This record gives sequence, structure tokens and C-alpha cells, in this order.
Amino acid sequence: MNAYMSPAIIMRVKEVGESDLLVTFFTAQKGRLSGVAKGARKSRKRFVNALDLFSLVSLEYAPRRQGNLLLLESGKLLNAYPGLRADFSAFSKASYMIELTEILFPPGVSEPDMFDLLNLSLDALSRGEKTHLVPLVFEFRALSMGGFRIDTGRCARCARPYQGEGTAVFLPETGGMACLKCGRPSALSPPLKPSVVKAIETLQHRPFREAMKEDLPEDTMKTLRVVLKLHREYRLERKLRTSKYVE
Amino acid sequence: MGIYPPPLENLIRHLSKLPGIGQKSATRVALHILKKPKGLAEDLSRSLLEVKEKITFCSVCFNFTDQDPCPICRDDTRGNGVICIVEGPGDQLAIEESGFFKGRYHVLHGVLSPLDGIGPDDLKIAELLMRLDREKISEVIMAMNPTTEGEATASFLGKLLSNKQIALSRIALGIPMGGDLKYMDAMTLLHALKSRTPLRP
Repeated sequence: MNAYMSPAIIMRVKEVGESDLLVTFFTAQKGRLSGVAKGARKSRKRFVNALDLFSLVSLEYAPRRQGNLLLLESGKLLNAYPGLRADFSAFSKASYMIELTEILFPPGVSEPDMFDLLNLSLDALSRGEKTHLVPLVFEFRALSMGGFRIDTGRCARCARPYQGEGTAVFLPETGGMACLKCGRPSALSPPLKPSVVKAIETLQHRPFREAMKEDLPEDTMKTLRVVLKLHREYRLERKLRTSKYVE
Repeated sequence: MGIYPPPLENLIRHLSKLPGIGQKSATRVALHILKKPKGLAEDLSRSLLEVKEKITFCSVCFNFTDQDPCPICRDDTRGNGVICIVEGPGDQLAIEESGFFKGRYHVLHGVLSPLDGIGPDDLKIAELLMRLDREKISEVIMAMNPTTEGEATASFLGKLLSNKQIALSRIALGIPMGGDLKYMDAMTLLHALKSRTPLRP
């Protein structure tokens, strides 16, 4: 049987049987996968520290004769993201990003850019780099890749192109925004200043490292968080389990 | 329909729900119980019920006990002032079996795990803080497992307790006894080198 070896980010680990682990991991080419690591809890050679939560590892795996679960052969730790272990806030944000990835990319859906985004985001959190901005950049990019990009190009009601002037309002039910002629600001449709619309475009389209260079004022960040929450809960039709630890 | 008679299938099904016991082990245990005299099954069922009826949490350290407070918390000869925090009763037992630690324990009953919906309010952290105020504690040893969740929990508690006049420490991490350096990962080697101890001939 063909064995594969690829970088993977460990998403969940569950103890099964006497010494086995059921591991869910995310890869660039095959997306989210699950497999059994036989004897991993006692292993001193094949899986030394490699199957710990949120670690980046080089994983060797092969399909099994029966069932959907893979057989994990060996793993080598590439990056344990040590900063996530040293700070509960960073750990919670990482958990949030993993849960969002699980929802947006179910098994069978692969997106190489999503793997890079997750890796870069976990690394930035671990290094303590702009940790307030990381979840925002991650979520705008992840939702965008998952097919839930916010349309900032035109009014969702009258289709008038948005030229970057004047306040608009966010309309969660359209996944876009409306001009002030078509929509009224409210708690469920927050007003979007041109600077906020520009920030949304930047965070959705720019590569992670470029987006992280942004120095957004606190009031913009606050509006972006409100928009994201409304957008996410409307589109995903659920509240994330980890959200109470990051909001 | 299974290959065994329904009562035996039923026993296998129940045994395989236990942690660490898969279908094969459950079958082996069930067949063993079946082969042995009836007394074994009677003793076993009596023990199972007794453990559910008599074992509770110690109101001080939250370990399992049949007397409240537990023998360790009642033992005046144990070094008061030092508390070792562990994830679960199994970890407490492992440290106790080593025979080296003579202080007291506090069992958290889990680790922080936002992905599983487990936050600070779901662990025995508030009870720990009350204990620290109530008892004259001079040192807290964090003995959580060196997993991502275990270390995040230790860091969280470390920050929470940092403003108290208590010495905080973490059990050492590094190369296990009988380990092999060439199979160690960079993280373990880093911890081992950071936690190195002076050699005294």
C-alpha cells in the first residue's frame, strides 16, 4: 500500500485502546484527515512528541485495508509552537482557529493556502507577534477561502459600485454591504466607515504576512470584530464552542 | 447479530466502553470471567457497585477517597505548606507511588481545553485558590503532563498565582530514563538542556 509523507498540523488527539491515539490532522494537499497511531502513547521512537495538539509535524501515513481511518506510521516534530503552551490567551486563539478550520474545511476538502495560513497564524501567535491582529487576519482569510468572502465591491441592494467614499452598512444576510440609501445602521447592520471597508478588503485579499503589517486603530478593530461575529454566525449558522474564550 | 450468545455479547459491549479496553481485550476479559467460578463474577459486580456507592471526592484535595478528608489530607506528618497540582487521580497515584513527595496534592480533574469546551471554571481552580488562602502554602508544584493542554494549564495557573507570596515550580521536562538521545525531538532536548542540573561527584 502507498505510504505518504507530508507536513501536517495536529488538530485533535484522542486516546483509544491501551496505547493508541486517534489523530485528526490538516495537510496542504489532502486537507483534513484522521488516522490511528498504533502504540503511540508508548512509542519512544516513531512518535516522540510528534502527536501533540497544534504541533506542526512531518507525518508518514498509509491507507488501511478497511475503513476511512489512515494508519499513522511515524511522525517527526517540526514546530511545537511553544508560545501557545505558555499563554492561555494564545492557546485559546489557536483553538478557535482550529475549530473554524474544521468547520470550513470538512474531510475531503483541500486548500493548500489554508494550510499555509494556519501554519503562519499559529507561528505568529506562538512568537507573540501582534496577537490581537492574528485571529482577525486568520478569520477574514479563512472565511474568504472557505467561500464566505464579504463583498465590498458594490451595494448588495442597488448594485451601485462602492468607490471607497462614504459610510456603508454591513448586511449579514447578503454577505456584503449596502449604501446608506438602501440600508440603515443598526446593531445587526453596523456602519462601515471607508477605513473599515478598506481594512476588510486588505484582510481578505492580502497574503498573511502583508496583512499582518497593517496597523489598525482600535475602533476599526472593534468594528471588524463585530462584523466578523455577525458574518460568521449568519453564514455558519452556529456559535463556535471556543468563541467564549476569545471574545 | 454477534457470534456469541447475547448475554456474552452484552458483557463484551459494556467492557469495551471502558478506557484502554478495545473489542479484543473486552472479549478476552469476558471469556475469562465466563471460564472462572461464579464467585469471581459476584465479587466483581459487588466491587463495581461498592466503588460507586462509597467513593467520593476528598473535600480538600478532590482526589477519590472513601473517607473525607482523604488519608493524605488527614496525615499531620505530611509536609504542610507544599501542594503538588496534578491533572487527575491517576497522576496523583503515580507521584505517590514514587515515594519521594511528602507534601499534599490538589487534583484539577482535567486540563484547559477550549476545543472540548473546558475552561477555567470547569476545573477545580476556584477550590485551589480558596485552599491557598485557607492553608499556609509556601510552595506550589505544577505536575501537569507536558502536553500542549497540560503546559497551557500550568502557564495559566502560574500567571494566576504570580501575585501571591508563594514559590511556584514546574516538574522538570527532558530525556526519560532509558531514553535515547538520537530519537529525541528538538523541543525535548531544549527542555533537557535548560533544566540541566550540576553534577556533584
